[in-house]
Amino acid sequence: MPPKIAGLLPNRFLQARVRRTAPTLNQPTETMTRLTLLTTLAAAALASVVATQTRAQTAATAGDPQKGSQKVQMCQGCHGILGWRTAYPEVYHVPKIAGQHPAYIIAALKEYRAGQRSHPSMDAITATLSDQDIADLAAYYAQAPLQTAVK
Amino acid sequence: MNMSRYLPAVLAVAAVLAAGHAAAGDIDAGRKKAQEVCAACHNMDGISTIADYPKLAGQYPDYLAKALRDYKSGARKNPIMAGMAAGLTQKDIDDVSAYFASLPPVLQSRM
Repeated sequence: MPPKIAGLLPNRFLQARVRRTAPTLNQPTETMTRLTLLTTLAAAALASVVATQTRAQTAATAGDPQKGSQKVQMCQGCHGILGWRTAYPEVYHVPKIAGQHPAYIIAALKEYRAGQRSHPSMDAITATLSDQDIADLAAYYAQAPLQTAVK
Repeated sequence: MNMSRYLPAVLAVAAVLAAGHAAAGDIDAGRKKAQEVCAACHNMDGISTIADYPKLAGQYPDYLAKALRDYKSGARKNPIMAGMAAGLTQKDIDDVSAYFASLPPVLQSRM
């Protein structure tokens, strides 16, 4: 005899249907959901660990803008002059860096120093810079622009 | 010596140089592309709020285009930007560079 369904509340009816028709489907679906959840949690945990480490590394060499201001002689010949262009190996405007995020300036200088990015002048200059120099220069250039020389 | 006799020649050379380096990009097309590709990290105003991502507003368009070409070619290595630049055509690169360069600048050249 099939179960009587007339008069059942809709949710009871649906529950009965799920139990009857999808017992095998339910199990793997729940497992999949748990797996997805676990993966997401693991990824989030990993991301937060990486983020914390990155922050710790950045904090390890805190930049001093005052000291940075005494190390800019090598920078200002190009980055201090509005409209200045590199001449070799390609001609393009030297980027404006005053007001940039210090973390980005630090990353850029370290990329040049490590050879992950290349420009003859920047390769040569960054080879002479310590982590502390880089942090100080980044702190200096991150400050609001003070003066601009016009070419 | 009268310098003014050289003025036309100087202006002509300057004009040629300027034309050679003028941004060829289409700002409106660049705005549309930037909305799709760049804005999630660099923001539509070019002032990223995440310190790892550079501010782009008012940066020189030829520098931005060079950076994107280098990411695309692999000359400059960054896993995120390699992925973003891979999907850009040369025209897209010129357009988004023109767009970010056209925004009110937050960066300057500074001594």
